[in-house]
Amino acid sequence: MANLSLKHIYKVYPNGTKAVNDFNMQISDKEFIVFVGPSGCGKSTTLRMIAGLEEITAGELKIGDMVVNGMEPKDRDIAMVFQNYALYPHMTIFENLAFGLRTRKIPDIKRDKKGNPVLDKNGKEIPIMRKYNKQELSEKVNEAAQILEITDYLKRKPKEMSGGQRQRVALGRAIVRRPKVMLLDEPLSNLDAKLRTQMRSEIVKLHKKLQTTFIYVTHDQVEAMTMGTRIVVMKDGCVKQIDTPKNLYRYPANKFVAGFIGTPQMNFFEGTLKKNGDKVYIDFNYSDAKVTVPYTMLMKTTPQYLDGTKTVYIGFRAEDLTLDEEQVAQSTTKIKVRISHSEQLGTETLVYGDINMDGDGFAETSTRVIIKSKGFKDYQPDTVCEAALNIDAIHLFDKETEESIMPRIPEYNYLDCSVKGGKITFFGNTVELPAAVKCAEGNGELLIPVSAIRFNGEITAKVIGCEDVNGQILVSLDINGSRLYALSSEILENGEISIGLDFKKLIIKIGDTENQPMPEVNSLNGTFVMQKELETVECKKKKVPYYYLLINGIKLKAPAEIYEKMFSATTGRKVYNSTYRYEWTPYDFTLSEGGIKAEVEKILDYGSEKFLKCNADGETLYVKTDKNLSGTVYLIPDVSKVSVIETERQIRIL
Amino acid sequence: MNKTKAKVAKAKTKKILNVLITYCILIVVAFIFFFPCLWLILASFSKSGSIYSFDGFFPTEYGFDAFKSLFTDTVMYNYPKWFLNTLFIAVMSCILGTIFTILTAYCMSRFRFKSRKAMMKTTLILGMFPSFMGTIAVYLMMTQFNLINQHWGLILIYSAQAPMGYMVQKGFFDTIPYSIDEAARIDGASNFTVFVKFILPMSKPILVYTALTAFTWPWSDFILPKMLLVDKDLYTVAVGLMSLGETEFARFAAGSIFIAIPIIILYFCLVKYMINGMAAGAVKE
Amino acid sequence: MKTAQKIKSFFKDIPSKIKSIPKRLSVRFAGAKEIITQGNGKVAASMLVMGLGQLLYAQWAKGFMFFIIQIAFIVYFVLTGATDLFGFFTLGSRESNAWYGVDGDNSVVMLIMGILSILIIILYVAIYIANVKDAYRTQCAADTLKQPTKFKKELGSLLDKSFHKTALALPVVGVCVFSILPIVFMILIAFTNYGGDIVPPALVDWVGFENFGKILSLGQFAPTFFKIFGWNMLWAVLATAINYFAGLGLALLLNKKCVKGKVFWRAFPILAYAIPGFITLLGFKFMFSYGGPINYYIQQGGGEAVGFLGLDAKWTARFIGLAVNAWISIPSTMLLATGILSNINTDLYEAARVDGASAWRQFIKITLPYVLFATTPVLISQFIGNFNNFGIFYFLRGGLYVDGYFLASDTDLLINWLYNMSIDNNYYSIGAAISLVIFVITSIISLTVYVLSPSYKQEETFR
Repeated sequence: MANLSLKHIYKVYPNGTKAVNDFNMQISDKEFIVFVGPSGCGKSTTLRMIAGLEEITAGELKIGDMVVNGMEPKDRDIAMVFQNYALYPHMTIFENLAFGLRTRKIPDIKRDKKGNPVLDKNGKEIPIMRKYNKQELSEKVNEAAQILEITDYLKRKPKEMSGGQRQRVALGRAIVRRPKVMLLDEPLSNLDAKLRTQMRSEIVKLHKKLQTTFIYVTHDQVEAMTMGTRIVVMKDGCVKQIDTPKNLYRYPANKFVAGFIGTPQMNFFEGTLKKNGDKVYIDFNYSDAKVTVPYTMLMKTTPQYLDGTKTVYIGFRAEDLTLDEEQVAQSTTKIKVRISHSEQLGTETLVYGDINMDGDGFAETSTRVIIKSKGFKDYQPDTVCEAALNIDAIHLFDKETEESIMPRIPEYNYLDCSVKGGKITFFGNTVELPAAVKCAEGNGELLIPVSAIRFNGEITAKVIGCEDVNGQILVSLDINGSRLYALSSEILENGEISIGLDFKKLIIKIGDTENQPMPEVNSLNGTFVMQKELETVECKKKKVPYYYLLINGIKLKAPAEIYEKMFSATTGRKVYNSTYRYEWTPYDFTLSEGGIKAEVEKILDYGSEKFLKCNADGETLYVKTDKNLSGTVYLIPDVSKVSVIETERQIRIL
Repeated sequence: MNKTKAKVAKAKTKKILNVLITYCILIVVAFIFFFPCLWLILASFSKSGSIYSFDGFFPTEYGFDAFKSLFTDTVMYNYPKWFLNTLFIAVMSCILGTIFTILTAYCMSRFRFKSRKAMMKTTLILGMFPSFMGTIAVYLMMTQFNLINQHWGLILIYSAQAPMGYMVQKGFFDTIPYSIDEAARIDGASNFTVFVKFILPMSKPILVYTALTAFTWPWSDFILPKMLLVDKDLYTVAVGLMSLGETEFARFAAGSIFIAIPIIILYFCLVKYMINGMAAGAVKE
Repeated sequence: MKTAQKIKSFFKDIPSKIKSIPKRLSVRFAGAKEIITQGNGKVAASMLVMGLGQLLYAQWAKGFMFFIIQIAFIVYFVLTGATDLFGFFTLGSRESNAWYGVDGDNSVVMLIMGILSILIIILYVAIYIANVKDAYRTQCAADTLKQPTKFKKELGSLLDKSFHKTALALPVVGVCVFSILPIVFMILIAFTNYGGDIVPPALVDWVGFENFGKILSLGQFAPTFFKIFGWNMLWAVLATAINYFAGLGLALLLNKKCVKGKVFWRAFPILAYAIPGFITLLGFKFMFSYGGPINYYIQQGGGEAVGFLGLDAKWTARFIGLAVNAWISIPSTMLLATGILSNINTDLYEAARVDGASAWRQFIKITLPYVLFATTPVLISQFIGNFNNFGIFYFLRGGLYVDGYFLASDTDLLINWLYNMSIDNNYYSIGAAISLVIFVITSIISLTVYVLSPSYKQEETFR
């Protein structure tokens, strides 16, 4: 019954470890969110911060419309189910369920002994807060008990119940108050496998019935995949990916998610990619295996990986390889596998092998391969056979960063270009370069960020498809037979469209030189101060506090809400002592007396827009402008649009 | 076939032997622990009081004289009064000391406040000091506070020093999962409610253990009462019995039995709690 | 190896640690700096007069509370506190003189009251700081345009968020006055010349480390000290070992499957446990006395009465002491071990039996490590208890002085010697110095044992 909003949530321990690092998420009502990750990844800590059992170091947590950062758990209207049930052992089940109700009060009107409302002088009912009476208590408890089918046990003590029953009671205790948010911390991990499966579906059923937001923590990816409407995969305090189960499985954003989701684990090989014309050669390291695929299947791959020098991780799920002879015969992408052993699972068989003919197929190496095949089938160890790869389901990751190199939304479009006489030619179109873009002449490469394509301009293109990726719409464009990706705010019809480029974001590489795109944010270091000023409020002279960002000696008045946010994000004490990095976009500045002093170094003219490149006490600032100015300027940033980073702990506050 | 039979038979004799030896040791142990007690009991029933008239361990004549004089001959040795004094001091210090110790242990187990580590280290180090040198200071302080020769003075000292031994209790509280506190707090309970309604009912073993130790200490202590109590009428039993000579052995024995019986009964009723409490408290440091 | 490395790195870190002191100090006092620089007039008012700032913020009840505390402190300080504090340093200057009817200063009482006044001042400063902090917090709350917290709500938080403050207030005060103050007093006495002829009404004075020098060098004390210390160590080790292993053995015996009627058998040791210690000790003293039953049988058998606990009964008395101590202490170890044994995972034993381990091996490999692990802290406290076991020889052989010992007998432990010297013979300052030495020894031993113990080394193994 409530939305949750987590903005820049951090948990930093006194020794500096970040248990939770910049957690951002919007949870809408009635969602079933699962936090999943290996132990120590911060999932439980996040949940406990939502519950109020753990203090939030920095960030803003909203339940409904209320910021609940400093609020006691009991006031947050949440309920929590613990891994070890945490039933009150000395109380009966009824008392266990009723306790939460007993401590709470409900609004009512004043009544006399007969139950008739007492009216005040004006004949109005008098609102009061009262405790639940006996009848209401037993009604509520029984209702919850019925939902969970524990009505027969209400008089028992927790000791006299089995694990599954105890977990039901724990759930019952959570739902009896009908909380806004249900938090479940590994509730099933103390149960045996069979009960776990059963309780899993019952919790899902409960979620449907209660129509409440559920947040569920588990280390078990099967639980996550089967229960969640959206899953948050975490590792080492960082969110690795937030998505629906289907998308996590199909489009893992990094190697960690790819390996964590799905059993058996995804096969990872090391290898290189080399593009040659419209073909890409995939060469597996430590093995003779090589396959050739058409470039169109790897269109979204970041091009710098395609030169055959960079080692990448190549991932295939066990079901995306097959030993089925018919399919192998038809396939053009085959690799040789030496089979080492197999596991019969009834409906399917897991075949373990190695693409390196000397590998043993047991250890988790970058040549070991697991192949899922249907039905019972005996595979003789040490036979060598061919397996077909389903290239549509290939996953590629950078070896160092382990991030996907064919993300669903690519960062840049890479294309060949040539620059001559202030004009740039690509895909058969020639466009004039604005004065601000300085680059060498010759043939080179053009990097167009997907966000740098506007849907108006002089270039004609064809929309050939739209894809909704978590609210962002990725448009595939065709220019003279070549593919280009762009982001759009709405779905576009297929067909002709005109597009333009945002030149300040482009990167043009000619030979060894490349131009610098304009940074999207300007950052300035400063502190935060409070000052009192005498003011007449309601005919009385009063000292009223005002808050300022102090940057390069200039005080910028800040609204109280910014102070409050910083106050709650840094637990108050540190606000005045810390140094901060303030960030603004080039559009957030106005030129006016009394602002931050800066020297204009250059005027950047991007045709439709003009920017000043200024130097403010060593920091370079880019500011949007309409006039050609030079010399000293004074800049006033829009304080309400500031984003703030605490430098000491590297925590983003706003 | 025969070999295995022989083996089984051998194992059987070994087992029987094992049981026999076990019981023999048990009987010896029981004798060792029981005999001195038996001796005291017998001595209390001897007709003549002096230890020199005994027939070895056994009195020559039996009678209830010792008990009679214990309760009637109160001019020199007012045993009934001593007994009531001891009971009063022990009960009061037990109540106050238990409350203080349990509260301290609960706070140390459940709250993370700034001075917690410092306080824990201090108590650990202070516990290693030979305590009775401090009694001089305590004595002088009591004279300053005008609490010499008063039972409340003793009670004050006993209950104030009790929290020093909070470690066992803290260990017990540490074994109660935090999630119960957390569940209760989410259910709307304050920390006080958590303590009273959840922790206390779940801590019966350690409560009993604490109360018992807090009771037996003043019940059998002699250093403090000897120092602080001047009037013979205000004596506790321990101080009083120590003033008895060898010629009053029967009376000593009778008095001892009377003071030992309440504690023995308490221990036997609560031994289960004791074991649980001690074990739980000891496992974690 | 590891310890050596740790020590090495400790010394290596010293320069960087010293360098970081200013930074750490600035971090520690950041709060104070913040309050001084950011606090407004009302906070300053609270600094000057406790509670004034709160009153200016219309927090009446709290403001008055702080104000009354300050008044009370000032009254205390003017009436007795200042003189007490002064007396702590001088330990009195006016000697009493019965001839002239001069009431002199009682140095020892002045010392105690001086310590007490210091404790009270510390407490006052703590409250004062809390007061300033509270005023600043109120300011912050008022600045954020929020209502200052209501007093009623703050009182409520004493049962919730700051329940520990409420709960710990009395115990802390009690421990400070009746445990810490006496110990501080004792430590300080070790640096005075209190004792011997110099007891009130004579004036006591500070003498520095003189007493420690006396223990080690002076003919009177040094030989006795080392003799007693040697026996004391032997006693502590033997007594602890006997009690521990006998108690554990008894628990194992009673834990055996073949033993029927465990409750019955366990009753006997518990009986011994339940009898107050001084009764047992006095009873045993009678038993071994010249006219006691044992000598009776010896005489019946034609022998001569033996002074088991007499003047020259060095080793028999020591042995009896060990035996009696065992009789008293074994039951408690047994109870403890019983509790711990019931916590051992029985799977371990089954696995061991399947592996063909004998009962002895099971004990050595499973039971002993587990029990040792679980009871190391108890073992240490038992060791300290035995090291300072006052009762045993006080009752069995109290008041005896043996040749070659200064005010002690050959069975006396350091603590008994201490008692003889300080309580019976007024050697207070020497006694205090000795007890400081005892403290240093026991704490070093127990810390070493603890660091070497399995419960410290492998904290996670059995969990």
